[in-house]
Amino acid sequence: MSGWNQERIRNFSIIAHIDHGKSTLADRFIQLCGALEAREMQEQVLDSMDIERERGITIKAQSVALDYHARDGKTYRLNMIDTPGHVDFSYEVSRSLTACEGALLVVDASQGVQAQTVANCYTAAELNLEILPVLNKIDLPSADPARAIQEIEDIIGIHAQDAARASAKTGVGVPEILEAIVRHVPAPKGNADAPLKALIIDSWFDNYLGTVSLVRVMDGRLKPREKIRLMATGRDYVTEQIGIFTPKRKPVAELGPGEVGYVMAGIKDVRSARVGDTITHVDRPADKPLPGFKEIKPRVFAGLYPVESSDYETFRDALSKLQLNDASLHYEPETSQALGFGFRCGFLGMLHMEIIQERLEREYGLNLITTAPTVVYEVATASEVLLVENPAKMPDPSRIVEIREPIIRATILAPQEYVGNVIGLCVEKRGIQKDMTYHGRQAMLVYELPLAEVVLDFFDRLKSVSRGYASLDYDFQEFRAANVVKLDVLINGDRVDALSVIVHQEQSQYRGRELAKKLRELIPRQMFDVAIQAAIGSKIIARETVKALRKNVTAKCYGGDATRKRKLLEKQKEGKKRMKQLGTVEIPQEAFLAVLRVDEK
Amino acid sequence: MQNFASLPPLSLYVHIPWCVRKCPYCDFNSHEARGEIPEREYVDALLRDLEQDLPRVWGRIVHTIFIGGGTPSLFAHETIDRLLSGIRARLPLDQNPEITLEANPGTVELERFKGFRAAGVNRLSIGIQSFDEEKLKALGRIHGRAEALRAAEAARAAGFDNFNLDLMFGLPGQTVEQALTDIRTAIGLRPTHLSAYQLTIEPNTLFHVRPPALPDDDSAWEMQSRLQVELAAAGYRQYEVSAYAQPGYECRHNMNYWKFGDYLGIGAGAHGKITDASGIARLWKVKHPGEYLRTAGTAESFGGEQKLSRHDATAEFMLNALRLTDGFPSPLFQERAGLPISACEPELARAETQGLIEWNAQTIRPTPQGRRFLNNLLELFV
Repeated sequence: MSGWNQERIRNFSIIAHIDHGKSTLADRFIQLCGALEAREMQEQVLDSMDIERERGITIKAQSVALDYHARDGKTYRLNMIDTPGHVDFSYEVSRSLTACEGALLVVDASQGVQAQTVANCYTAAELNLEILPVLNKIDLPSADPARAIQEIEDIIGIHAQDAARASAKTGVGVPEILEAIVRHVPAPKGNADAPLKALIIDSWFDNYLGTVSLVRVMDGRLKPREKIRLMATGRDYVTEQIGIFTPKRKPVAELGPGEVGYVMAGIKDVRSARVGDTITHVDRPADKPLPGFKEIKPRVFAGLYPVESSDYETFRDALSKLQLNDASLHYEPETSQALGFGFRCGFLGMLHMEIIQERLEREYGLNLITTAPTVVYEVATASEVLLVENPAKMPDPSRIVEIREPIIRATILAPQEYVGNVIGLCVEKRGIQKDMTYHGRQAMLVYELPLAEVVLDFFDRLKSVSRGYASLDYDFQEFRAANVVKLDVLINGDRVDALSVIVHQEQSQYRGRELAKKLRELIPRQMFDVAIQAAIGSKIIARETVKALRKNVTAKCYGGDATRKRKLLEKQKEGKKRMKQLGTVEIPQEAFLAVLRVDEK
Repeated sequence: MQNFASLPPLSLYVHIPWCVRKCPYCDFNSHEARGEIPEREYVDALLRDLEQDLPRVWGRIVHTIFIGGGTPSLFAHETIDRLLSGIRARLPLDQNPEITLEANPGTVELERFKGFRAAGVNRLSIGIQSFDEEKLKALGRIHGRAEALRAAEAARAAGFDNFNLDLMFGLPGQTVEQALTDIRTAIGLRPTHLSAYQLTIEPNTLFHVRPPALPDDDSAWEMQSRLQVELAAAGYRQYEVSAYAQPGYECRHNMNYWKFGDYLGIGAGAHGKITDASGIARLWKVKHPGEYLRTAGTAESFGGEQKLSRHDATAEFMLNALRLTDGFPSPLFQERAGLPISACEPELARAETQGLIEWNAQTIRPTPQGRRFLNNLLELFV
């Protein structure tokens, strides 16, 4: 089927905080519209990666075209576009929202509004989307709809008295939401006769199909076997297949204005079909691309090294395969004296980094060492400005005129009773308060914070000082001059490049001492004493010793014991395989992330 | 395929699985005796078991017998006599065999010991563990200091000029001085052999579930170093991790384990290791006494059997032989593991670089550092 009348199309997205029930609600919609047989319904149809299911988050945008028979007797095409749900992926969110005319704001009726939802709602409002509030989990005894409504009105600033009340779990109130979408979300208003403009919402790589792009046609029509141009890269392709997701992939003859679907055009990798790019026709191009395309830059960097150096090739292949599907993953070869050959990888944020690391270990069976995450610094020397993403590459202090660190603008929402703790944490992390407002029981704090402090453990700490209630959203703001130094670690007198970190001058002494202490706890006792030193330049600022074991012997071994004792030894040996041998010293993987575990003063 | 020029010496292990009470640190196959122990039926079962194993060792001479447990000394001397006679009737014994029986103080009487001696037992191994009342209680032992002392004296009086005392150190709440007092007391009883084990908390024991407060590494190390000095001064040479003996009184049965010799194992849960032209096999019997009594002598009594691969044979050879203070003559590896020593040259070279072994054409032996960090050394081979 193709050529839907725009009057009958509704494109919408669901904005929700993690765990507020977005996926369950989406499943209900699919069920109500009869898009899948009951036996095909798998919990949370849309999150298709294992990691997405386990973590309950969405990484890749997806869409489902649903045919809804409304109470007015007409059939509507509802395109539900699922958006990533984490601060690391805010650009992707904005592109998904651009493809819609409306958004459902799903708020857990017992938990109220969270920062991530606020940020996405603001984005939706800026894009002039019609926002329909939905109070979910209304069946829970702790649900407090009146307070949730008050919060939506205070914080988001939209009318919420008529908010739909539903329980995605039981299904109560869900049909009313679909009706509200039909009634309140505006129909798209594209021009079918204008030159083609289609927005790439997301792209992914499929081993059998190649690159598949999810698109929203704004103007014009998109058909198979047409010459198309991607306006940001300027490259031309021929469309092979056009279709929609029902959620199963289903080819169609064309996608007209207002429609959402997929395009395959023999594109080799996802970097060539970037999120936010505009597709047009080669023979009748649009005069200018759709606004909002941004080159996304990684903000967090870490060195990744295979524990077994023989895994290097596998590792490189794995990264290149992951990159096929993830244009925001950057990597380049790096050599560490301590860890050998590896890659310096750039990520959108900490979650992105964890996901990539987990996929590498799980899907490719790699055993990896990750160095402490760091941000990119602008380092001005007398002759040039360098971007330094690896502490080991920091130029000699004598050459440095100025080091500038990335500053973010963070928006934190927290219940009033935790404001004191949150402010304390922000101060400790060198934050500068920019704004503080109260909305009902919630406070909204705006801070400028060094990204370097945030990538370490800010998010975990924020959760712990607020008992899990505070939420965070942030944007990159600028590079700003900072008084930072490189802190080195020496193990038995040898500098271990992979353990170097960049820290603020004022905290360097303390951090050095704590890092050495933490390493002493993490490095197991061995046959020899292990000396750990922290140094800034040539000055040793802390010293710790892992005392040698007194002995390591099994007291008894007779006859049949041998098999059992051997199994024990094998197990011990297996455990050590996860350690890195530096000279004669065995260092566990966690030690390379020790700096993350150093608490603030 | 491993290649054997000759078969290694053969020993026989007999397991008696009952104790008066199960000790909280013990992870051996032992069971508290409830009611009367079926001694007669058990010996019948052991002999059936032995007969079933015989075809594996036709014509080979048994050099040592070790009756372990459990608490074999719970058995009447008549029972042990019937057992040893039964064994002699079925297997050719060495002209001068070493026949050891494990005894626990508290179950001992002079008469019973005399009976064991008369039955042909020529070595006793007595589970003293400590002479300290409080420590014995903490270990869940049923005997006290007086019984411990009496057991050693009874052994000598019964005609055992060759006996071992088992001691433990690193006991709950033990001081270095207390550990040394125990060793001195043991030395004072003039046994030919002393075993001094550091108490280790094993999985599947009561201590593992409810761990007692043990001395820290530093004090345990001090206990060991100082008791080694005491033992050496009294003429006991350490020849294995936990074994000390007067010259010529090393336990031949255990030496055979450590030199990777062969042994038959009969009794509930007993393990055997047998070499033949096709390689080395480990075999073991069902663990539970009731099931063993029911199935002994039939195929059902086998708990399992495993052929050792080249890697297994190398690992297990080293696991045993490197426990010995003197290590082993280099050719013994080919003789017992059936492989040229060059098969583990890379590991030996690494061990040497790490200062854990001394290695030449004649001998391979652990250095003092290698003995101290034996597990690190053995990890190279597993």
